[in-house]
Amino acid sequence: MHILFFAQLKDVARCDRTELPLAGPVEANALWELLLEKFPGLAGHRASARLARNGEYADAKTIFADTDEVALIPPVSGG
Amino acid sequence: MKIAIQLTSKPIDISRLREEFRGRAGAVVEFDGVVRDAENGQTISALEYEAYSPMAENQMRHILETLGEKFPCLAAHVVHRIGVIPVGETAIYVGIVAKHRGEAFAMLSAFMDRLKQDVPIWKVRAISVKSEVGSLKFEGTKSAIKSSSSGWRLEEALAEISSRCRPLPGVRTPLAEALDRVLREPVIAADDLPATDKSTRDGYAILEHDSSATFQVIDTIHAADWKPRQLKTGEAVRIATGGSLPGDGLRVVMQEHVEREGDRIRVVRRENALNIRKRGAEVRAGQTVVAAGNGLTAGALAMLATVGCTQPLVSPRLRIAHFTTGDEIVSPDQKPAPGQIRDSNSILMRALLRSFPCELTQVHLREDFEQAKVEIGDRRSEIGGVDVVLISGGASVGEKDFTRPLLEWLDFEIVFNRVNIRPGAPLIFGWADDGRRVAFGLPGNPLSHFVCYQLFVTTALRRLTGAAVRGFLRGRLASKLEDASNPRETLWPARAELDEAGWSLTPLPWSSSGDVNCLVAANALLRVPASAQNLDAGIAVEFIPTDRT
Repeated sequence: MHILFFAQLKDVARCDRTELPLAGPVEANALWELLLEKFPGLAGHRASARLARNGEYADAKTIFADTDEVALIPPVSGG
Repeated sequence: MKIAIQLTSKPIDISRLREEFRGRAGAVVEFDGVVRDAENGQTISALEYEAYSPMAENQMRHILETLGEKFPCLAAHVVHRIGVIPVGETAIYVGIVAKHRGEAFAMLSAFMDRLKQDVPIWKVRAISVKSEVGSLKFEGTKSAIKSSSSGWRLEEALAEISSRCRPLPGVRTPLAEALDRVLREPVIAADDLPATDKSTRDGYAILEHDSSATFQVIDTIHAADWKPRQLKTGEAVRIATGGSLPGDGLRVVMQEHVEREGDRIRVVRRENALNIRKRGAEVRAGQTVVAAGNGLTAGALAMLATVGCTQPLVSPRLRIAHFTTGDEIVSPDQKPAPGQIRDSNSILMRALLRSFPCELTQVHLREDFEQAKVEIGDRRSEIGGVDVVLISGGASVGEKDFTRPLLEWLDFEIVFNRVNIRPGAPLIFGWADDGRRVAFGLPGNPLSHFVCYQLFVTTALRRLTGAAVRGFLRGRLASKLEDASNPRETLWPARAELDEAGWSLTPLPWSSSGDVNCLVAANALLRVPASAQNLDAGIAVEFIPTDRT
């Protein structure tokens, strides 16, 4: 699975993208656990960051597959 | 509803967008979100925005479609700029067209609220650097023409030219065409250089304080790789010179200081050096790498390329028309009859202007005003419309002189027509269009021509391009100057050499303003004050260099 980081989360993860191999489909919570294992620094951002799957915001029931592009979206500040 | 959405890293042209909305019936409501000069109480010069582009565009479209059900509108156009946006420039433009104003206002307001909640665009950094753009502003004076029988003093004339000329609007230009143009806005690095910690050696990255004797080599990093990872005690990563370190808190052990066997290494020598070039060691993000007002040299262009500035805002190519006059002038390839001379001013001016990127038109005119009007004829508006008109010859006060009426016919207002210097006194300066067009009538003698170009024309050209105006440099006289006395200040051709003590100036012999001989060696003009008698070797003098403007 492709993972994309933006804004301050790039600094936390020390990269703007990474590959996260998935054994099978997972829900958002399980995905977060995998992410925190690899990037413990993200823990403090879990409450404020949203997940997007293939360019759409995900919710708690979204199922993520190994072929998805997942973005971690910290609070936005456009305009 | 017709929806158009765009993310761009280029400046947003509001007037063009507005034009697209012209002529549609009903209400047009527009919002222009501009970068303020303060962020969290700090004075800033720019903001940097980042976007998750495809999703940001989809989200904006989705929001507009959803809101369109509630507030039926005819069209919506959103442009959001990303990257570094200077203060005062547009970050977002939203235009809404509807039959009535109510739904257009409601749509715009609701859209901006939703944008700030859901569209993945971020202000990632406030950049605070002193802006150099302000130095381009210059308040011109419109003083009445000063009259003096002996002419204007040198400083007065230079100050007047500076204050009358206005920088021409900058143009975005590809790097390949930007050499010698003047940069019109500071170029700011968006990222650190280097962007990551880099190894300065071929060797092995290990934890900085890892005192293990042997290490397991778990990966290889080439110069172009970016492989962040956490190293553990006893682990090493093979890394090439220029390779990006995989994390913080590391050091690189030179390959000459290890013995390798299979995928294990043994460190045989330890040194204090980390062998790492730190992120940002060369340039920090937000730093001005080339300031406004700088002429773009080959090296400056390389810097712009390094930071990804491919379309710098630079001075335009100047449009210059140069007229030579004088019935005694023949082409250099002809043998002059008695009383005639070959034209040297055409090539002199063409060569001098090489320092300024320009489009030069050169025309020879018969020295007769009525005939010159006929010769220029249909091209009057074309020639009168250039940025700079230069006329060689015909500036002395004589029956045949016609530069002044010619410039007035080309709609220039004459500001002064005499400067109290030698050579070069009969200099005419005119202006038009509030200082966006200027004209000079230059005395036709080659040395006068050269002096007036170096002092006055370059001042005008530098102001039009937005470059800083040069002052005089200081040096010392290398040899005694005798019989320099003259009621007027003299600009004396000289040879300037740089030695351990600074600039040393050797005056060159010259006898009249028609002297070409002294120009062969001259690379400077030395100021000799009015009424100076003899100048001794070693005294301090002022000069301008002439071999490169």
